[in-house]
Amino acid sequence: MEPRPETETNTSAKGLMLRAASASSLTLGLFAALTVGLITLTWVFTKARIDDQIRQAEIRALEEILPRADIDGSALYDNDLLKTRISIPVNKQLGSRTTAEGYAAFKGDTPVAVILPVVAPKGYSGAIHMLVGIKADGTLSGVRVTNHKETPGLGDAIEIIKSNWITVFSGKSLDNPQQKGWGVRKDGGEFDQFTGATITPRAVVLAVHNSLQYFEQNRDQLFQQGLKQLKQTRGDAHGQPDA
Amino acid sequence: MASPTPEAREITLNGLWNNNPALVQLLGLCPLLGVSNSVVNALGLGLATILVLAGSNLVVSLIRHQVNDAIRLPVFVMVIAALTTCVELLMQAFTYELYQILGIFIPLIVTNCSILGRADAFASKHPPGAAVLDGLMMGAGFALVLVVLGALRESIGQGTLFANMHLLFGPVAKSWSVVLVQDYKQFLFAILPPGAFFFMGLLIAVKNIVDNRISEAKKATQDKPSTGSKRVRVTGTVS
Amino acid sequence: MALIRQTSPHTRGAETTSRVMQLVMLAALPGLLVTTAMFGWGTFINLIWISLIAVGSEALVARLRKRPVAFYLRDYSALVTAVLLALALPPLAPWWLTLIGTAFAIIVAKHLYGGLGQNPFNPAMVGYVLLLISFPADMVNWLPAAGTPGYETLSFGQSLQAIFPFLGGNLDYDAITMATALDVVRENSSLTWSELQATNAALGGTFAGKGWEWVNIAYLAGGLFLLYRKVFTWHAPVGMLGALIVMSLVFKNGSGSDTHGTVLFHLLSGATMLGAFFIVTDPVSGATSNRGRLIFGAGVGILVYVIRAWGGYPDAVAFAVLLMNMAAPTIDYYTQPRTYGHKKPRKGLAKPEDR
Repeated sequence: MEPRPETETNTSAKGLMLRAASASSLTLGLFAALTVGLITLTWVFTKARIDDQIRQAEIRALEEILPRADIDGSALYDNDLLKTRISIPVNKQLGSRTTAEGYAAFKGDTPVAVILPVVAPKGYSGAIHMLVGIKADGTLSGVRVTNHKETPGLGDAIEIIKSNWITVFSGKSLDNPQQKGWGVRKDGGEFDQFTGATITPRAVVLAVHNSLQYFEQNRDQLFQQGLKQLKQTRGDAHGQPDA
Repeated sequence: MASPTPEAREITLNGLWNNNPALVQLLGLCPLLGVSNSVVNALGLGLATILVLAGSNLVVSLIRHQVNDAIRLPVFVMVIAALTTCVELLMQAFTYELYQILGIFIPLIVTNCSILGRADAFASKHPPGAAVLDGLMMGAGFALVLVVLGALRESIGQGTLFANMHLLFGPVAKSWSVVLVQDYKQFLFAILPPGAFFFMGLLIAVKNIVDNRISEAKKATQDKPSTGSKRVRVTGTVS
Repeated sequence: MALIRQTSPHTRGAETTSRVMQLVMLAALPGLLVTTAMFGWGTFINLIWISLIAVGSEALVARLRKRPVAFYLRDYSALVTAVLLALALPPLAPWWLTLIGTAFAIIVAKHLYGGLGQNPFNPAMVGYVLLLISFPADMVNWLPAAGTPGYETLSFGQSLQAIFPFLGGNLDYDAITMATALDVVRENSSLTWSELQATNAALGGTFAGKGWEWVNIAYLAGGLFLLYRKVFTWHAPVGMLGALIVMSLVFKNGSGSDTHGTVLFHLLSGATMLGAFFIVTDPVSGATSNRGRLIFGAGVGILVYVIRAWGGYPDAVAFAVLLMNMAAPTIDYYTQPRTYGHKKPRKGLAKPEDR
């Protein structure tokens, strides 16, 4: 095609188009600003409540594993678990592959318990992630599964919403039952397997037992780290003990 | 562009039955199948969808004269995304546990085609009143299917109805749970994803049966007066 | 009548549908006998119960669809579905379990899609998978094979009571059931193959799992009979078994501590032979051309191994068959045989008229 000389109408059409385009992008920009404004407004109004909800949900989850009230009704611990996190290095006994976070519980400065992240690497379909609460004397306060891929209807009975099997661990320790008892019934242990599923409970029992051993060996170091964290948060709050 | 605004009755019928987004248009199936395993999940997502649909229809209808065709879709998408984000934040703030269960499906409301579909096909051509009604009714039609599917799957899968309603309505609703069968052996098929497809198929089939019955009944009543009439209509309809 | 519509060609093959179905049932007989000998009367009782349900469901649907009931029942296809289900289910599957599975197989998997010839999925396998994902705990109640030390084969009465619990008797399932050889291998994570064999009664067979090896050999014999009678071609079974052999050779890890089992073990365990000769050969839900059948079978074989070794369930024939059923139309599309006298088009070259 031959290049045609630019005519009057041609430039004005171009100008019209440009003007339309700039008007469009202006509208678009205006709407972008408006919608972002709407979201910001909602966010500002809900932020505090959302943070509070998340916190409460986390505390609820942790208190299921480590109830705040002792058997006699008194408070078992008085620190804020979410603020007393301890970092736990990669460890074979805990089955962890990355540094994970645990929690330490204190009454005053006295160590009361820890909550450890534990992984059972060989479930029926991959790893089973758990949180294990262990009191200072080495007894279990509670165990909960946080993540797993076990077969629905068989291995998923380790979830608290499916069955209460996981609660059998409360009160157990390295001496209760003895070493031999730490297995499923099929292997001569004390823990029930599920009908049709042995692998899953076997993996969980083994992982819990391992975590007890880990605690036995690392108790002092875990609580020292927790205490340091505890004092730091108290320092931030100007010496006020965290209720 | 300027088609006459349909009557409220027609809009309502369209949303709930004739043009139901889930049963007829088959839009938004991903969340529909994903969270319809119990009534509370279904209702939670259904309400959120109604909110976004009615809201986006209202906004789109209000701005329909200010936005030209070239940037129509991006603007609609922005409106829908903003409303969805707001609903997500609100759910997080007020029904946190339900929000955790519904998870990814709340932000995914953005991708529910029926919302952009209604914005473009209806709200951008009609005044705000009709647009809001359309959004409400389309949303209600979608939510209705969700809840029926949720009720079917929950009752057959777990033998309960309205379990865990307190996640949505607070502690008052704790007592709403109905145990249909004591010691019910879970029928996992209904709760797992394949069951969603199966029961959805059944619902669509039931709707088609009902529609067929209705049109047959109509035909029967229409045919009757023609007997004995002098004029015989051969083809077409006289309006 | 719409059903017996006569279209060309009008010459009929010697084998009618009912004749083929009868042959299939005959060929399954050795498998049934060996299963009964190894695992007690459960399968036998189940077969009768399931057949009743299957025929009942078929008649019910035929009536609902306003079709001639006798015509539908006479092709024996409902009975074949019943036989396959009975052979695939655990011997002590309770009556309500088989009722749900069979009714679903016939009513939903077969007739909702339009009846025999229209069903995209193998009805028996749909019924089996429905039960497996819905009631996994009841679907793993397998019995130890006859002659396993410490276990006794159940009597006829005991089996009957296990299947129909309202007849009285209370069996302790944990005491009479045992993990199958496939379970043992799937759950193994620390032992080598020879260690496994030494420590597990379920693996104490001559070639593979105790009892299971003979069951599979019986199905193999029945399958070869069907092949000899030209009920199906060799392609699908060879595809499936070949792929299974290749997969188990490649991933065997026989001397390692995470073994997935030997080649012979995979060939003679679980539902391998039942699947290879009675299920992937289904002319309705499988592929159509010979090349397609080979690919279809190979797909099943690969999936069976993958799910057995790494999946969430110990055996996988049903899952694998359903997945490949889904792929069958695509396989058919890409393996259309050339019409006689036509050549394959030369791809990638421009046609002369385009120049």
